[in-house]
Amino acid sequence: MKQLTLNMTGVLLLLLGLPTFVTAHANLDHAEPKVGSTVNQSPKEVKIWFSQSVEPAFSTIEVFDSAEKRIDKKDSHVDKADKAILIVSVPELDAGIYKVVWHVVSVDTHKTHGDFKFTIKK
Amino acid sequence: MKIKRLALRCAAAGALLLGASRALAHGYVGDRFFPPTISTDDPFAVDELALPTVSVVKNSGDGPSNWEWDSGFEFDKEILPHFAIGISDTYIYQHFRHLPTAQGWDNLTLTAKYELWQNDEHEAIVAVGLESDIGGTGSRGVGRASFSTLTPKLYFGKGFAEFGDQLWPLQPFAVTGEVGQSFPTSAAEPNALEWGFAVEYSLPYLQSHVKDIGLSKPFANMIPLVEFSMETTENRGQGGLTTGTVNPGVLWETNYFQLGVEANIPINRASGSHVGATIQMWIFIDDLFPKIFGHPVFGERS
Repeated sequence: MKQLTLNMTGVLLLLLGLPTFVTAHANLDHAEPKVGSTVNQSPKEVKIWFSQSVEPAFSTIEVFDSAEKRIDKKDSHVDKADKAILIVSVPELDAGIYKVVWHVVSVDTHKTHGDFKFTIKK
Repeated sequence: MKIKRLALRCAAAGALLLGASRALAHGYVGDRFFPPTISTDDPFAVDELALPTVSVVKNSGDGPSNWEWDSGFEFDKEILPHFAIGISDTYIYQHFRHLPTAQGWDNLTLTAKYELWQNDEHEAIVAVGLESDIGGTGSRGVGRASFSTLTPKLYFGKGFAEFGDQLWPLQPFAVTGEVGQSFPTSAAEPNALEWGFAVEYSLPYLQSHVKDIGLSKPFANMIPLVEFSMETTENRGQGGLTTGTVNPGVLWETNYFQLGVEANIPINRASGSHVGATIQMWIFIDDLFPKIFGHPVFGERS
């Protein structure tokens, strides 16, 4: 039993120390505008921080208005200083509810996607 | 030269896209991540490793009372797209106050599971499977069964994204569960309906899909849940007896593993007279070792 407990503890410690050199799914960590938030003025861009670096060629953000018309400037790009940040520019937006749809591929090819809304109340 | 470079880039992009087709391995349906649960099985036929699962409970039934410590593992591997096989076992250690300690492996359990249907938009999944408890493979000292038991099972999972914007606090709720009919090979043993489900509230889903309420880590990565793990015997003089536990707990997600802890509360005297506890680690082997795991042995996951 003691040996088994020692072995289990060893596995636990090994796993807790492992994650610094491996990669995983890129999930949304936080965003600006914030997920589900209400802002008073139009943002210039939508910016998402992911839990992992993403592959620029296969990672996009799309922004849609309440009529489901795509309104972003179609210039999704990864931040030069931090490859875990994906950005898309948006024009001056009117008051309303907007939907952000993201698709990313992490650097080890895991694919994830998601969406969220934000509201502009002028 | 330019053409050569372009060809190289196209080849790299192709390789990346081919790799991407195997993505969304463990537990995703649409935008919803369904975590592997502790007391009941989830509906996913994917590469998973639970190591260890450690539980402790005080037994005081008909025999002499004892403290029981169990340490177990489960390993599942996707063989064909959406079809996985698994193996699990538990090492049992029973400490009696005035008697020698009993310890040894329980019977080996083999499972086969197939994801039958999935709907990303409605965050719903249904799977079927067969669980086989192999009689006589464990240690006699811990009272392992000498007979085998076959249990065909139906598994399900459902997220509640359909709750509209007005009911946004309910959107992070999800339920997973299983229903199985056991068939022991011993004529003396009763058949039983095995059933259980987990009601979970995903704070990561709340934060990243519904509303960022400003939760900081580690709370932003936690999933509180309550699991109900039950068995109702059906015949051979024991018909109608339901035993089981209600298991409130919490799961904590990281990119590479999930740590979970639950209390195990018996629902009646026949289920036990003491509250137990279980701690479990699920290792996301598809993320840790993406070249080996996260894809079927044969074929491609669609």
